[in-house]
Amino acid sequence: MESYFQWLQSLPPSVWISESESIWAYPLVLFLHSVGMGLSVGSAFAICLRLLGVARPLPVSSLRVLFRIFWGGFYLNLVTGSLLFAAAATRTGYIPVYYVKLILILFGMIVSIPIRRFVDGEAIDRVIPVRIRTLAAVSVVIWTSVITTGRLIAYIQ
Amino acid sequence: MNVNLVHLHLVLNHVPTVGTIVALGLLLLAFAKKSDHVERASLAVFVAIALVSLPTYMTGYSAEQAIKDRPGVSAALIETHQSAALLALIFMEVTGVVAWLGLWQARRPSGRTRWNAPVVVILAAVSLGLMASAANIGGEITHPEIMAAGDAPMGTLAPDVFKTSYIARFQFTRPWAWPMLEAVHFIGLSLLFGIVLVGNLRILGLMRNARFVDIHRLLPWGVWGFVINSVTGMLFFIGQAFQYIDNPAFHLKVVFMLLAGANVLYLTLFDEVWALGPGDTAPLSAKAVAVSQIFLWIGVIYFGRMLPYLGDAF
Repeated sequence: MESYFQWLQSLPPSVWISESESIWAYPLVLFLHSVGMGLSVGSAFAICLRLLGVARPLPVSSLRVLFRIFWGGFYLNLVTGSLLFAAAATRTGYIPVYYVKLILILFGMIVSIPIRRFVDGEAIDRVIPVRIRTLAAVSVVIWTSVITTGRLIAYIQ
Repeated sequence: MNVNLVHLHLVLNHVPTVGTIVALGLLLLAFAKKSDHVERASLAVFVAIALVSLPTYMTGYSAEQAIKDRPGVSAALIETHQSAALLALIFMEVTGVVAWLGLWQARRPSGRTRWNAPVVVILAAVSLGLMASAANIGGEITHPEIMAAGDAPMGTLAPDVFKTSYIARFQFTRPWAWPMLEAVHFIGLSLLFGIVLVGNLRILGLMRNARFVDIHRLLPWGVWGFVINSVTGMLFFIGQAFQYIDNPAFHLKVVFMLLAGANVLYLTLFDEVWALGPGDTAPLSAKAVAVSQIFLWIGVIYFGRMLPYLGDAF
């Protein structure tokens, strides 16, 4: 693993991020990662709140467009997150909580599939099945845990 | 820069007391005249005072730094002023949130709940008393002449947990406290940003099959995000004030946050967005406000993230 981490860290973008003193290098990637978090987790929170019974008159079908924002933020963070990892692979690669975060993201994506299917369907707006409400609650817990584990990466040596 | 912030403290510190007297007067006038318009104006003023109270409290640290080494300035009196101010600030913020809830409820078909108006009056009166007490102690720091000869300095009702040193020590002695506050701060960010984004995207023409009235019902969750981040943000500030008060990224973050916070009032106060039905297109002015709101919140995130890079916060 060590040789793989070292190879990642020696790639030109990794070297640029970790060595440039510019405010447009590492700090910019970090900022974009936060914006991606706000876009993806923020839209996931909005979708889940509606499915949990907040803003009941709001048509469920109007939530469809929010999935595009969710995936937009998700891909932004896939790119920026990979850059942040590559730039510090020999450190982050040995932090268990980083892998916990990745697994939680995978769970979050799996849970989003049936939620997406329900929102895309022709279901009657005012009735949200218990199964979907449960998944929405689980989704909120997963994404808050992703943020928590992500923040912990910065503090675990 | 430091001198300017001290001036700012001396200007802003009149707002919570004088502003609350004005807003409370407006609210009582609204009750007497049974005027909804005046009542909403008064509630909006309470929200504005709650926002301005945040930099009022924070610039106090610059004032402290400027005068603490002067002869005749009592460190104990500064500490008493600071914990009295924190207690007053908390009541002022709660008043602002309850006033905002009143504005939000007024937009619901079912109208405002009956408890809202009396609770705002009581909270405002308590905040006013606490602010006046904090202001009085603050005045004694540099104007000992207002104390009668032989008088002991004013005390405060604030318990020890409101002392800056207590809060800073709590964070310092518990290594998990700071990372946990960070995690909660980022969760609050996502909640606030996501809900505000949804409201503004409807104005910009996405989710067009929804009425704005219905989107509006999500807004309190955005405000809870703001509350979560005000509390965690203030705890960072109190714990490590001196890495923020001269930090240019922090100054810009607070300015952007105040503008963005005031901007959110637009979503509850203005009829042009309120009247949007299914399929309706918002007027250009509303779209301009929506774009500015998204820009301001992204700016808050940017300068928050830049605290260690434009300044020297960790």
